[in-house]
Amino acid sequence: MLSTVKQLSLAALEIKKELLTLCAEKSIHIGGDLSVADVMTVLWQYQMKYNPLNPEDPGRDRFILSKGHAAAVTSLNQAAIGCFRKEDFFREYATNGGRFSMHSCKLVNPFVEVSTGSLGHGLSIGAGIAAGLRRKGNAQNRVYVVMGDGEQGEGSVWEAAMHAAHYRLGNLVAIVDCNGLEADGPVAELTGLDDIGEKYRAFGWRVVDIDGHSIPEIKGAFDGLGAPESEKPTAIIAHTVKGNGVSFMENDVNWHAGRMTAEQYEQAMKEIQEKAAL
Amino acid sequence: MEKKKRWVREVLGNYMVELAQQDDRVVAVSADLFRSCRMERFMERYPDRLYNTGIAEQNMVGFAAGLCREGFKPYAFSMASFVSMRACEQCRTDIAYANADAVLVGVYAGVSGGLSGATHWSIEDCAIFSAFPNMTVLEPSDGVQAQKMLRATLNHKGPVYIRVSVVPSADIYPPDYEYEIGKASVPRPGTDGAILCSGVLVQYALEAAEEIARETGKQVRVVDMHTIKPVDVQAIRAAAETGCILAAQDHNIIGGLGYQAAAVIAREGLRTKFAMAGIDDRFVPMARPDYLYAQFGIDKAGLKKKILELMEEASHD
Repeated sequence: MLSTVKQLSLAALEIKKELLTLCAEKSIHIGGDLSVADVMTVLWQYQMKYNPLNPEDPGRDRFILSKGHAAAVTSLNQAAIGCFRKEDFFREYATNGGRFSMHSCKLVNPFVEVSTGSLGHGLSIGAGIAAGLRRKGNAQNRVYVVMGDGEQGEGSVWEAAMHAAHYRLGNLVAIVDCNGLEADGPVAELTGLDDIGEKYRAFGWRVVDIDGHSIPEIKGAFDGLGAPESEKPTAIIAHTVKGNGVSFMENDVNWHAGRMTAEQYEQAMKEIQEKAAL
Repeated sequence: MEKKKRWVREVLGNYMVELAQQDDRVVAVSADLFRSCRMERFMERYPDRLYNTGIAEQNMVGFAAGLCREGFKPYAFSMASFVSMRACEQCRTDIAYANADAVLVGVYAGVSGGLSGATHWSIEDCAIFSAFPNMTVLEPSDGVQAQKMLRATLNHKGPVYIRVSVVPSADIYPPDYEYEIGKASVPRPGTDGAILCSGVLVQYALEAAEEIARETGKQVRVVDMHTIKPVDVQAIRAAAETGCILAAQDHNIIGGLGYQAAAVIAREGLRTKFAMAGIDDRFVPMARPDYLYAQFGIDKAGLKKKILELMEEASHD
């Protein structure tokens, strides 16, 4: 596991470069992968207790990708900690019989805690797992649920938000990747969610707002989590940019998913490295 | 004299206490319908093994899926219409896709909710749940079977849906009745025709068959298809040997037990007369269940009329 901001920044850059490499070959949900890449890197390569040799280890932290389309950035981070080989990921991605594709599928990939893709499912399942851990007397592990901001339009998210606070599931951590865009346009125009953190706070959650592209802030949010046996679930509201780091992708709905040309790939790689050097 | 009747939902609700005693994995989940599902004994006895999500069925099912993931065996209690439709995608994606060991119980099956009206009826649930891979679909016909069915779900691998009528039923089976998921029961033998049915319709079919025997001497077999999916192919093959099958269910004809039976008959090329009875694909206003069953021709008189017509047709072939 990594420990310093510098190590984590380099790891995040590596993940982004790999995403771009994949995106030059195949269509992936690149916009939402890039927006959550920094958060996911810190989560998987610093924060989470996870045994890459045993995805059913009872002592693991549980991870649920509620925004199931960020499958690539999840798998790349899992590869980085040794769950499987990176070459295998690239070779198998979006192939018949492959373990990796546009969304996460537990039928073929044991490192997927639960299969996801349809939005608004993860927080309820996460609450169930968190309650299950409590029933088993597990006071060490947490459940992390990564959602999108557009996803907050699903009513089931708020059913779960009410319920998790009511059952005092302090071992549950929701991370909302607020990249401001859903498939048809800006979240502000389509769904009018306004201040998402304020809403979780009103539902009885502990809320932390961070810059989701600042490694120190992400790390700080995780370092500041209450103990798993605490009584308030935490929502980390990560303010991010969809397509972060690539000028022609940033804030463009057309890059929700897609594949780059060779020229676009060169430009994107150049930009992402320049941005990291700043 | 009329036999004493019981409410299957009450039998199930009460038996949950025994189930929890037998197995520590058992927990109960509901979206504000524990009382409606007659879970009072469980609520009193095991308040710490019960999760009420409030009126939030989607969360109830997703939450149950999470409990499964941690090795628990959740029994989720709701109304058939709400669990099958309000939480449809959670049942499909969180439970069926995951092949989770959850049991979903839906009361007010069919039009048994009568005066509550179509919002509280469930005439689509078999079609919906049967279309989910991994899902087993059950419907008990009396209290004895209901209890054994619930017991059988405890060690069943994969998800189960149980639809439960709220029309009371007299006991059909003796206490030592042997129950097995997937294996139809035959509470009345017969070789002149067969009625395939489930739930509350089993007693109506039995009453119809008794009348027919009294009046004509013909023996109509009653086949209790308590497992709607996977359907008991052997029982349908055997019923086809009578030359006459009526498949009846308190459900829309489309996608119900009749469709399951028809598919088997077609696939196996069984030579038999065949007809379906059930709700003929329409919404109707609120009314008492007995009135509705008569309207849809699935009460004793309706089933009797239909099977006699079918047997008459068969005699001309």
